[in-house]
Amino acid sequence: MSNSSIAGSDQSAAAEKRKRKIFAAAEGYLYLAPTLIVLTIFVFIPIITSFQISLTRVAPFGGRSINVGFENYTRLFTSPEYRDTVRITLLFALYTVPTGIFFSVALAILLSYPLKRLSWLHRLLIFMPIVISTAVTGVLFRWIYHPVVGYLNYILEFLPFIESGPNWLNDADVALISVSMAVVWRQLGFNTIIALAGIQNIDEVYYEAAKVDGASTYHRIRHIMLPLLTPTLFFLLIINVINSLQVFGEINILTSGSQATRTMLYSIYNRAFIGTPQVGQASAEAYLLFLLILVLSVVQFRFLGNKVNY
Amino acid sequence: MIEDAQLSTGVKSAPTDAHSAVRVETDDAGSGRWTNLTLQIVLVVLGIFVSFPVILAILTSFKVPTDIINYPPTLFPEVWTLENYETAWTSQPLARYFVNSVVQTGIIVLFQIVFSILAAYAFSILEFPGRDLFFYLILGSLMVPFQLTFIPNFILISELGWANTYAGLTVPFLASAFGVFMLRQFFLTLPRDLYEAAKIDGASSWTYLWRVVVPLSKGSISAFGIFAFLSAWNQYLWPLIITNEPEMRTLQIGIRFFLFDQERGADWGGIMAATVIALLPTLLIFLVAQRQLVKGIATTGLKG
Repeated sequence: MSNSSIAGSDQSAAAEKRKRKIFAAAEGYLYLAPTLIVLTIFVFIPIITSFQISLTRVAPFGGRSINVGFENYTRLFTSPEYRDTVRITLLFALYTVPTGIFFSVALAILLSYPLKRLSWLHRLLIFMPIVISTAVTGVLFRWIYHPVVGYLNYILEFLPFIESGPNWLNDADVALISVSMAVVWRQLGFNTIIALAGIQNIDEVYYEAAKVDGASTYHRIRHIMLPLLTPTLFFLLIINVINSLQVFGEINILTSGSQATRTMLYSIYNRAFIGTPQVGQASAEAYLLFLLILVLSVVQFRFLGNKVNY
Repeated sequence: MIEDAQLSTGVKSAPTDAHSAVRVETDDAGSGRWTNLTLQIVLVVLGIFVSFPVILAILTSFKVPTDIINYPPTLFPEVWTLENYETAWTSQPLARYFVNSVVQTGIIVLFQIVFSILAAYAFSILEFPGRDLFFYLILGSLMVPFQLTFIPNFILISELGWANTYAGLTVPFLASAFGVFMLRQFFLTLPRDLYEAAKIDGASSWTYLWRVVVPLSKGSISAFGIFAFLSAWNQYLWPLIITNEPEMRTLQIGIRFFLFDQERGADWGGIMAATVIALLPTLLIFLVAQRQLVKGIATTGLKG
């Protein structure tokens, strides 16, 4: 009798354990549920639906959408208009990324110097753009570039070889550069923080060794710091290219997406929301942009992945 | 820890940390002081140059109209006035935009914090099958750009009849993969023994989360809250497409339309006042929480 009661309690203990395990699992899923549901509806499912939409076109009359296969994609490859947006997007990356990295690394080198006083003030002033929105950036630069009251042309008129500054936003030859400068400014704080973190991550041993060798400051920056900073520079390159593909607010406010500044993203917005909506065509363009960003993101997230398992 | 000055990537915010390629030799005090002074001046000039657009906007918002169109332009107002704020506030439903932004941002931040705490807790302390798979799935969502999802989401929200509502402005953003990641990293640093001890004392997972984990993680949670606030407050593309009734616009969209309306009248004082109103909350947060922001960016490489 005692034997069987022991066996019975064993059995119920095992059942109890199993029950607890199931309960623990269910509990885990419940904690995840809110995040998972929101991301599923607004991120994961749209990956599929936007592809489906990209295979359709709205019929001219009646507004029913009809399946057109890959027509929206094939049209892009022959469209000179689309080729133009790709060209402008690449130019935009070319204008913003190297300049952004150059200025942020230069500022980070200066900020890495261990000053006893005012170091907080320098950081405050230089990091400030990290909180500025794209809309505010757009409004501020629209004013700075203004042909009559803008400060930029006023300052330029002091230069001996300039009679009057360009029409920054309406001149098709300079509009993209003008937007680029605004974007470089908004990204400057963020980039400088990343660059500074990279610089301060470099083991001091390297500098000590260089100092013993009597290396100059230039030599230390050029031959010790910059090579060791390569991973950070590479990371900056990737995220800045991704960011350049995602710029919208500044273009919208500064030039309303004029021909000269119509990037791939702006073209998507135009097709989907301005004039007669061409949602299928817009989705096809969005999908191509997505694949481009995805390739870059995979590289970017190897950086984050390194931090997942520490 | 977040409030700690030393970052895990090795960024040291303590200015005395000698750690630089341009470091001056200590045995050469005289030239060191000159380098110091030069660098101070260079950095102040660069700092003012970088923040110049914002400084200019703030100063201009206090100028009277004649002061603004003066040629040559002056930096400081000759007469300080609040007139621009008055016109900006009354000629446009700026108060309404402000309320919209506060409600929209408030809802997003609150939900993102709570949902992220729950998920991060599941990913760091609880154990269940498929845990890592789900974690990488959520992390992977960070790689899906908004540029892909905004068209289907716009269609969905419109079909639900949520265009021009707070639900439409907020529901797609109630969860944050960035928040889950950031909080999980912190929760993992809490000693496991604490959890075992609480279990032995008969505490449920739920009690342990809210009584122990959350109070211990206030620093990380508020740091994430700051990021969530900034990205919600500064949103542009989504509120632009999902609102077409002026009374549902957020501040960011409001200042855009204000600019387009007022530019012809050249009321730059009013425009700058509106811009400063849109900018001020983020600027205050920056002044208060600069360190957390810098640390968060340096460790994750993300802006939120």
